[in-house]
Amino acid sequence: MRRFLAPPVLAALLVSAVVAGACSKASPQSPTGPTTGPTTSTTTASTTTGGTSAPTPSPTGEQFPLTVTDDDGVEVTLDHPPTRIVTFAPSATEVLFALGLGSDVVGVSGKFDDYPKAARSIPEVGGAGEFGVDPNIEKVVSLNPDLVLTIEGGDQWKGQLRHLGIPVFTTNSTDLDDVMHDIQTVGEVTDAVPQANALTSHMAAQARSVDTAVSSESHVSCFFEVAFNPLYTVGPGSFIYDLLQRAGCDPVTSKAKNPYPQWSVEDLVRDDPTVYLVSSESGGTVADVEHRPGFDALSAVQHDRVYLVDSDLVSRAGPRVVDGLAALAHALHPDAFGG
Amino acid sequence: MRRAAWRFRATMVVLAVLLVVAVVLGVGLGAVGIAPGTVLSLFAWKLHLIARPDVPKSVEIIVFQLRLPRVLLAGVVGMGLAVAGLLFQGLFRNPMADPAVIGVSSGAALGAIVVILAGGAAILGGLGVAGAAFAGALVVAFVVYRLARIGPAVHVVTLLLAGIAVAAVMSGVMSVVMSFSGEQIRNIYFWILGGLSSRGWAALQVVTPIVFVGTAAAGFLVNDLNLLALGEERAAQLGVEVERTKRRTLALGSLLAAAAVSVSGVIGFVGLMTPHLLRLVIGADHRRLLPACVLAGPTILILADLASRTLIAPEELPLGAVTAVLGGPFFLYLLRRQRGARGGVLV
Repeated sequence: MRRFLAPPVLAALLVSAVVAGACSKASPQSPTGPTTGPTTSTTTASTTTGGTSAPTPSPTGEQFPLTVTDDDGVEVTLDHPPTRIVTFAPSATEVLFALGLGSDVVGVSGKFDDYPKAARSIPEVGGAGEFGVDPNIEKVVSLNPDLVLTIEGGDQWKGQLRHLGIPVFTTNSTDLDDVMHDIQTVGEVTDAVPQANALTSHMAAQARSVDTAVSSESHVSCFFEVAFNPLYTVGPGSFIYDLLQRAGCDPVTSKAKNPYPQWSVEDLVRDDPTVYLVSSESGGTVADVEHRPGFDALSAVQHDRVYLVDSDLVSRAGPRVVDGLAALAHALHPDAFGG
Repeated sequence: MRRAAWRFRATMVVLAVLLVVAVVLGVGLGAVGIAPGTVLSLFAWKLHLIARPDVPKSVEIIVFQLRLPRVLLAGVVGMGLAVAGLLFQGLFRNPMADPAVIGVSSGAALGAIVVILAGGAAILGGLGVAGAAFAGALVVAFVVYRLARIGPAVHVVTLLLAGIAVAAVMSGVMSVVMSFSGEQIRNIYFWILGGLSSRGWAALQVVTPIVFVGTAAAGFLVNDLNLLALGEERAAQLGVEVERTKRRTLALGSLLAAAAVSVSGVIGFVGLMTPHLLRLVIGADHRRLLPACVLAGPTILILADLASRTLIAPEELPLGAVTAVLGGPFFLYLLRRQRGARGGVLV
């Protein structure tokens, strides 16, 4: 392998590949609920003091100029409500469209910004490579944005953009509650608080209905495949792990040391989960999974409990994450939803 | 001479014992701890010696569906790489020659990558990739050979240079392809790193006949390779059909390397290291080196694979990295020591 490529570049790409989407690393200060107020972000309207824990709907633009500390710990100041926004994460694109701000999005990262469909016709700023590890700075600048909305990572290009006077706002959603909290924060930053309130209460209601449905069910053991050969899964601290637990499952990977661990097939066979979930990102089909060496011994395979999960729904920290939760819950507990 | 013969026999015995030990360790150790007694009783049961031991079904699956085929595959791949390395080193009369140098590995890798990118990774349970790797390797071997041919003769130096150049072009193409490979980059990345996990019995069924037949065929070349070591002119004077021998050696080496690479990805160092180590111990006679490679190649790769899947279990290290990281320093150490003792490396 030595002569084929530069390892550092690949390592970076690999990390992106494994945690593609908007997955994020564990954060010790995960909020416990959407109503507990800002925990990973603090908001201060420079014209008022305090009163940030329960953002109230405000007339357009009243809170600006606005200074908000983002999840990178950077103080971001916006003089006026942004109207030209570049997103550099599919989840950020989805959030803005769900807030009704789709027409303000002037640039997206790349071909993964595929939802809603209208996002596909927006210019892409992804740099070299389809993963768009870094945005193309020239392209971003040419779009003349007044806000770049993105997820964690990429300190270098973020610094470069800030240096050029373009505000960069980062969210790092560690679990479902944090997603709703971060949508709320994005609502403040983009002057769309009422829409954010409506969106997050809708999401919270959907999450509650899943919770109600599975609460009477006993948890089943499960395994979530992120990628195969080598096998990668999710562990505590990952976004998907949180969803799995909410959907009524005890992943057999509870002792994993990191959020996206590699896993041995031997351990998988020994632990023999009841339900086997495959991320669509993994590239295989249910039939592929069932035909792998040794997999025919898994209870999940023998009892047709292998399910393909749309990775966009469970790995993007956006509004559709509650659909992902519902999809997981349906797979894990079909009886709770009337078969 | 008699002393050398004795040394050869002793080495073969030691290598055979080591191979058995490697297989036993390989099947006995893994991410899930299974007692040696349990493993032995499972084998005794499979051989109809005893009734089925009272162990969970999962243990049986782990031993027979996951570990055993993997250990055997490591053995076959190791054998293929070692014999290919021996052939290439003999052909080029150069201890640095291995499948990677003449571009065969790059050709195989590129072939595999094209199939992975075309979405064919799952065809025939992954054998689509194997077939493409195989085709890629053979095409490169052929192209390199034709490029190196000037008039009727193929000069070894030209062949080596053409191989290096083609390998470099392939690597460039691969890097470009990879940077546009999107979601597939992960599959490609891990394939290039090399590994043997989850290949199952299917891969073994494909690669075993090729490696065994290829190795047997290599047996017909060892005398000519010994003479070739004296130089092409000398060899020709002694009755070797030099060009034919070179052509056959190249084809056979490519076939073996491609077969190995097609199921394991790119695993460096085994093809380079194994013949070398053996040469230090039993000398440069290809008639002895070939059987020694047949025993030592599998042992080295089985142990390397064991290290790759147990050192940081439940995670796995890329096998290609293990062979390089663990094998490299050990190899260098032996080289240094032998240089002190003998004043040079025999080729």
